Amino acid sequence: MQINSNPLPDTSDELLIQQFKDGRQDTFDVLYHRYLPKVYNRVRYVVPESDVEDVTQEVFIAALKSLPSFRGDSKFGTWLRTLTNHKVAEFYRKRSRKQEPQITMLSEAQAQVDGETSTMMEDRMFLQHTLQGLPENYREVLLLRFAEDMQFNEIADHLNQNLEAVKSLFRRAVTALRNNLDK
Amino acid sequence: MYRTTQNLQKDNELADFADRLLNDGMEQDASSSNVELISLEKTILNLKETFPPKKLDEDKARRMLAQVKLRARQEKEPVKQSFFQRLFDFQSNPQVGLLAAVAAVVILVIVGLPSVGTSGEALSGAALSDASYVPALGILVVLFILYWISRRK
Repeated sequence: MQINSNPLPDTSDELLIQQFKDGRQDTFDVLYHRYLPKVYNRVRYVVPESDVEDVTQEVFIAALKSLPSFRGDSKFGTWLRTLTNHKVAEFYRKRSRKQEPQITMLSEAQAQVDGETSTMMEDRMFLQHTLQGLPENYREVLLLRFAEDMQFNEIADHLNQNLEAVKSLFRRAVTALRNNLDK
Repeated sequence: MYRTTQNLQKDNELADFADRLLNDGMEQDASSSNVELISLEKTILNLKETFPPKKLDEDKARRMLAQVKLRARQEKEPVKQSFFQRLFDFQSNPQVGLLAAVAAVVILVIVGLPSVGTSGEALSGAALSDASYVPALGILVVLFILYWISRRK
């Protein structure tokens, strides 16, 4: 059974939110299962593995608390994406306040638990750190394509741009990522 | 013009490569004939390999949902505060903070004023008598102790 199993597959986000506001708390479960894979994947690309679940939960806690005041000016998915980006930024802000190192070194033993070598984990952390350091529009187009598996035409719709502009933005984003990784 | 067309071609070629890799999993290696594109395709392959698709199992998703609901409910409940904590919570009650500041200034002004003699005339330059300090200092000490206790709890 997949995690995005949806008891009300045809119900729109807008209707679910309206029902939630009318007191049907269980409609949040549907929204949660619908968007969990996207939020989880997006967080996984920019936050260390050990903190992914915590940050994902923070996103949904904030969503649950703010949903009654959701006005619907933007789509729920867009609103949740913005909330996710805020929570990721907050995670890094809190971490820098604690003066923890940007890249946490993990012990070989801990790395082996997940069947990964410490080198693989370090590579991933370095890539996450580099992604997080990219300009927002570059990071966004990469996350939409890789983490959320959106097609280029869907990204164009989402960003209100034409397909050529999005493909051009994608190439510039990959170039910036390569240059920063090579530094 | 030629440069623009060339750029468009590169944009399309790289996007197609990403589509083939992500949609079909066909590409295992950089395949372009262009040196610049080869290095960009390698970056895309690196990104894909570093973050292989990972699905949360349903048990974990449910456990996370339960925790989300519990935390949201806990954070909604008002934190029980003692009387003194509420009284000295200046961020929530700025009026109380302002009042305390005014009271402190008034006390300091009273303490600083020359003491008044029994004849009703101020004795300028005269040292303050010990008696005039005691009530004001007492109030200040009590206020400080109450504030200190409220912060400790």
